[in-house]
Amino acid sequence: MDVKRLTKLGLLTCLALIIFIIELRIPDIVPIPGVKLGLANIVTVYCIYTFTPAETAMMLFSRILLGALFSGNLMALWYSIAGGVLCFAGMVLLRRIADEKNIWFLSVIGAVLHNIGQITVAMIVLKSKTVIGYLPFLLISGCIAGLFTGISAQLITKRLNKN
Amino acid sequence: MNRRKVFIIITAAIMLVSAAWCAYLMLRPAGENIIISQDGKELYRIDITRTPDRNIEVEYEGRKNIIEIKDGEVRMQHADCPDHICIETGRLRPDTPIVCLPNRLVIEYENSTVDGTAR
Repeated sequence: MDVKRLTKLGLLTCLALIIFIIELRIPDIVPIPGVKLGLANIVTVYCIYTFTPAETAMMLFSRILLGALFSGNLMALWYSIAGGVLCFAGMVLLRRIADEKNIWFLSVIGAVLHNIGQITVAMIVLKSKTVIGYLPFLLISGCIAGLFTGISAQLITKRLNKN
Repeated sequence: MNRRKVFIIITAAIMLVSAAWCAYLMLRPAGENIIISQDGKELYRIDITRTPDRNIEVEYEGRKNIIEIKDGEVRMQHADCPDHICIETGRLRPDTPIVCLPNRLVIEYENSTVDGTAR
């Protein structure tokens, strides 16, 4: 990896962190734990279409780790990591099928997988099956949020990769 | 059929299935018993239609939760955790449990488990 790519990835990590921290300041609209826009995912989706999977993974996991440290919520780290790993794996696989005109779909599936990962960890931590009752609510919000961030990522990727 | 159409159909299908699942959870009648459990172990099983108004204190690793039962409704009144999501959840509804992740606490209606509905 040359210095130029490394610098770019560093800047993108920084950008994702800033978006992540600003989003924490937005008050919750729905009182369901886990419902959020996930704006930082725009950067991840852009990376998947611009960098190699290994480089994207480096960016994503530095962001998750630093994000948990900065927000002071280490409990949320496990949920973020589980969601992040599932979401990343699914998006890398889908990257082969979805071309640059269908980036939004990648983001929707990413959001859905993220929610499934989170709920799975919650079920393990709480040793309770009932928590799965949150999943359908999270899936609907995840689809809408994923669509929104996906369309944003699609526009950004199209314009940035033109030159 | 091009790829875009397939992708739109898959997205719509996920939304529809989730919406149906939500509706199923919300329309289900509430039971009479609530279960308060921590770390997978049941602490209390209370018939809220009959129990008098009371507060229940639960501790986990030195952190405290206070559960309020009032007029047949249950909500989290106090929690020693950073996010207070459980308090913001409001009163307990039959579709989703009240969860305090840092203190591993779950409050739910008895019939809201997967096993309960199958019975």
